[in-house]
Amino acid sequence: MSAESRNFAVHRSICQNVSRARRQLVLAALCLILVQPLAAQQVVPELGHTLTALPAPMSGASFTLQDTDEETHALNDYRGKVILLNFWATWCPPCRREIPSMERLYQLLKEEGFVVLAVNQWEDPDHVFAYLGQLEADPSFPILFDPESEVAKAYGVKGLPTTFLLDKDGKVRYRAVGGREFDHPEVVATIRRLLE
Amino acid sequence: MPALLRYLALLFLLVPCLVAAAEVKQSRNSETELFSWQVEDRGFSLELVQLHTDFVRAVYGARGFPPALIDGIAEYCVFGTIAINTSDAQLSYRVADWRYVTPDGEQHPLKTKTQWTTEWMKMGVPYNWSILPDDQTFEVGDWSQGFTTVRLPRESVFDLVYSWTVEGKTHVSRIEELRCAPEHLPER
Repeated sequence: MSAESRNFAVHRSICQNVSRARRQLVLAALCLILVQPLAAQQVVPELGHTLTALPAPMSGASFTLQDTDEETHALNDYRGKVILLNFWATWCPPCRREIPSMERLYQLLKEEGFVVLAVNQWEDPDHVFAYLGQLEADPSFPILFDPESEVAKAYGVKGLPTTFLLDKDGKVRYRAVGGREFDHPEVVATIRRLLE
Repeated sequence: MPALLRYLALLFLLVPCLVAAAEVKQSRNSETELFSWQVEDRGFSLELVQLHTDFVRAVYGARGFPPALIDGIAEYCVFGTIAINTSDAQLSYRVADWRYVTPDGEQHPLKTKTQWTTEWMKMGVPYNWSILPDDQTFEVGDWSQGFTTVRLPRESVFDLVYSWTVEGKTHVSRIEELRCAPEHLPER
């Protein structure tokens, strides 16, 4: 590790050790200060619902990541379920836009063997926690943390959001680059076909 | 240099001058007074939104990045950029092929995501997000969002010549008179 990397790691570590309550207060304020201008400065086009079927389904790269409660989730834990694997970040406007549709989709299909895994990129859990607290409906699906973007790299993600739909055997069957309305009837029908 | 190579080199240099300007929808955000430009042309929609330096600093400052990194990108003219495949076929683009053209007629490459992330890695920050991906292949309905960066002073005016490929055919278009954002948000 270079001296710069060490310095940055130390800097990051110091940030992570500031008391959680104080940080959440500061971060909530930061969200209000930063995210509102961000919404004003950046435009998000209408979200579509098209998923692209991969010509040859491939095995999803395995991973083990922690969620907001520091509980561990491995991809293999979800074998036998259809998985919507979403890569996102709080600063990304279309990521924020599509979260409510993922929650609606999850509520609709979770009893049928479907799960959403939303993998956050490179953000501090406290920051994400503060952001989620502002949402009208807190997502009930697992929010996982990929602090060095290793899982995103393994899936070849170039931009956020990018989403994959994995079948019950853990194979990647569909991909969507950019935000989507995931509870659109055509997406629901696609997932139900994979659940059969 | 063989004649054919000379011809191709000359053609490449002339392309930015020969490309017809696309029909541009320009709008201004009434709250921030920032301009945006959007073009939809032959299956590809490209939108550029002015971003204030304060905003760019805030985006990277909120990640806890070192001042040198924040100062580095704040020196650039940064645009929020939305690229959308509006065609009914696969589409691809490469930022390395795009050029900005200054009023003196000189053409310059944009600083790519790979160039930024390489620089950030040397500063010990392995951050791989926020800049528009260097190259992407979009299927139907795919799109992407990120920053594009041009090394020009505040309020500079320039043209952007950009290209994309649909069904094996490469198209080139030009957005005229883009303008970098002013230094600060207007006072109210």
